[in-house]
Amino acid sequence: MNPLAWWRWQALFENRAIFLQGLGQTVLASALALGLALVLGAVFGVMAVSPWRLPRWLNRAYVEFTQNTPLVVQVLFLYLGLPYAGIMMPVLWVGVLGLGIYHGAYVAEVVRAGINSVHRGQLEAAYSQGFNYFGAMRHIILPQAARVVLPPLTNQALALIKNSAVLAMIAGGDLMYYTDSWSSDTLHYGPAYIVAGLLYLVLTLPLAWLTTNLEVRLGRGQRGVA
Amino acid sequence: MAGFTELLLQGMSIVLRAENLRFLLKGVGVTLELSLEVILISFLLGVALGILRYARVPVLATMAATYVEAMRNSPMLLLILAAHFALRLTAWNSGVAGMSLYTSAVLAEVVRGGLNSIDRGQWEAARAQGFRYVQILWHVVLPQALRRMIPPIVSQFITVVKDTAYVWLIGVDELTGRAKIIMGAHAEAVIALFFTIAVVYFIVNYVLSAMARSLERRYWARSF
Amino acid sequence: MRRGMMAAVAAAILVSVLGLTACSSSSGGSSGNGKSLGQSADAIQKRGVLKAGVKIDVPKFGYKDPGTGKIDGFEVDLVRAVAKKILGDPNKIELTGVTAKTRAALLDNGELDLVAATFTITEDRKKSLNFTDSYFTDGIAIMVKKSSGLTGLKDLDKKKIGVAKSATTKARLQEKADPLGVKPEFLEFDSYPEIKAALDAGRVDAFSVDGAILYGYLDDSTQILPDRYSQEEYGIATAKPKTDLAKVVNDTLAEMKSSGELDQLKQKWGLK
Repeated sequence: MNPLAWWRWQALFENRAIFLQGLGQTVLASALALGLALVLGAVFGVMAVSPWRLPRWLNRAYVEFTQNTPLVVQVLFLYLGLPYAGIMMPVLWVGVLGLGIYHGAYVAEVVRAGINSVHRGQLEAAYSQGFNYFGAMRHIILPQAARVVLPPLTNQALALIKNSAVLAMIAGGDLMYYTDSWSSDTLHYGPAYIVAGLLYLVLTLPLAWLTTNLEVRLGRGQRGVA
Repeated sequence: MAGFTELLLQGMSIVLRAENLRFLLKGVGVTLELSLEVILISFLLGVALGILRYARVPVLATMAATYVEAMRNSPMLLLILAAHFALRLTAWNSGVAGMSLYTSAVLAEVVRGGLNSIDRGQWEAARAQGFRYVQILWHVVLPQALRRMIPPIVSQFITVVKDTAYVWLIGVDELTGRAKIIMGAHAEAVIALFFTIAVVYFIVNYVLSAMARSLERRYWARSF
Repeated sequence: MRRGMMAAVAAAILVSVLGLTACSSSSGGSSGNGKSLGQSADAIQKRGVLKAGVKIDVPKFGYKDPGTGKIDGFEVDLVRAVAKKILGDPNKIELTGVTAKTRAALLDNGELDLVAATFTITEDRKKSLNFTDSYFTDGIAIMVKKSSGLTGLKDLDKKKIGVAKSATTKARLQEKADPLGVKPEFLEFDSYPEIKAALDAGRVDAFSVDGAILYGYLDDSTQILPDRYSQEEYGIATAKPKTDLAKVVNDTLAEMKSSGELDQLKQKWGLK
């Protein structure tokens, strides 16, 4: 009973539609969650450098709470806890919201670091040119910060794809879920996990390569972790 | 929303029962033990892999690079499940193995980054003093690099603590798993349960990240 | 063929020898009850404690209370009844938590006298172990919310059924659902508590697994539907050579059945 016997691979190939369906769900959930994370990250990142105390405080609360509690717990709460409050989101939205909120906190930190990397004198200069706070942010600070934040942002996208496997824990129909389900039905664990691993790498390696390239080209930054 | 608060309070009265608290607290112990084991193994592996790549040891460096790229770009959950079901390790061992495969790859990059951050001029200076390669690496470069690596290692430790929440999947009864066991008997306490364990994780990780920040301040002030 | 016959002859000899020893020792007994229950029972009496394997994670059958560390359940009570029969004291028991993987091995190596752990009697297993008659009939069952109005598999077309990963539940239910033209959607979870929570939260319409396990999650708002989608008979297992012990255990169960004690116990644990 060779765990990697040829007929096991054939069985997997015949059932490839299941894996492709899972892959599709993984890509869809990741893409939507990334969009949400970018929006949340931009808003909360700007709040972090706000001249007012309340937005700064909100930023800290969001970032600290999200980064210091497990994604698993957050997602389970959305999936099993919220229905008690009368909120029954479809499982895809639970995944998108969970992943988006979690990575939004990391993106917010990236955005904050990016803004802080632009010299404060530029804000003063913009004020003296008649820009208000929001105008200065939009036209002067953020465009410059964008260059600094690009490598860590691609890295966040990568981390988000990896973390999307959390959907398997709530029957989310993603690649990890179907890999798990199919392999425990058929006992073809070896081929199933190898193929799933390779499919994840197909998604993540280009981003890893892009991150490294951007880091080299922009000459700074260290790959963070999430 | 009123129903929500009511449920939270009602659930808290179940969660805060002495036997349930004791049960969860033991889970915190399991979580910390697993995290420590993973971070120690990963650190040792990571240093070895990082040095192999930094020193460009022929063949081994390429193998290390392949390992690092494959592991750190795969979902940790996949590695844990593969260790359990494909490699047939026990639950605890597959938790440790799956998490360490991933974490060691991340730390290898931290180590390599740390080593690269040390000025190459120090090599020449030390060589002029008659030191050999291994001596310079071990006595001059590595100690300085390790100091700079402390903050990213601590932040990876936080990631490890959070990711232990995955191992209930294969039957390790850490904090999240134990919360789920209680949830099986008291589904109405689900909100309170997740709230409670989130707070526990938060406290553990907040203490860790506060430590990381203070270390960061001390060492960055010194090295620049 | 030859080897098969030799084995059969050897087994026949073994059984008759054991049978003879059992008979002979029952006539010249030396137990507290005045009459011996057999060699194995004598050994247990000498030791003063009955070593039994039970489940520790199936509420109502065998469950270790996380707070007190005490193991209790229907099957633990059965073990107590056997201890009372052999040792005259239901409390002279030493319980070991077993799993599907460990229970047969622990009987084989003599570490346990008997196992009462939701152990399904099968022809295959009977070849290597002794089983008593069934003390509980179980099978794959379905739990739903009382308020749902669902009464059986036929009502579950296009409904969501929560099942555990790596269990055969899905395949068995699918087999039974196909002829009814019912197409449920199966959602697979990692552990039972999650399925129960998903049922309570309304994420799934039904929770399906072996009835014994479902009973552990039964509460005021849920019910277990009467149909079973597979049939499993639970028996108490003993090591193959100890036929005398198997008889004692089986007699104990038979007495409990006829006296109504077994039904009372099922009632006590909410298994009726």
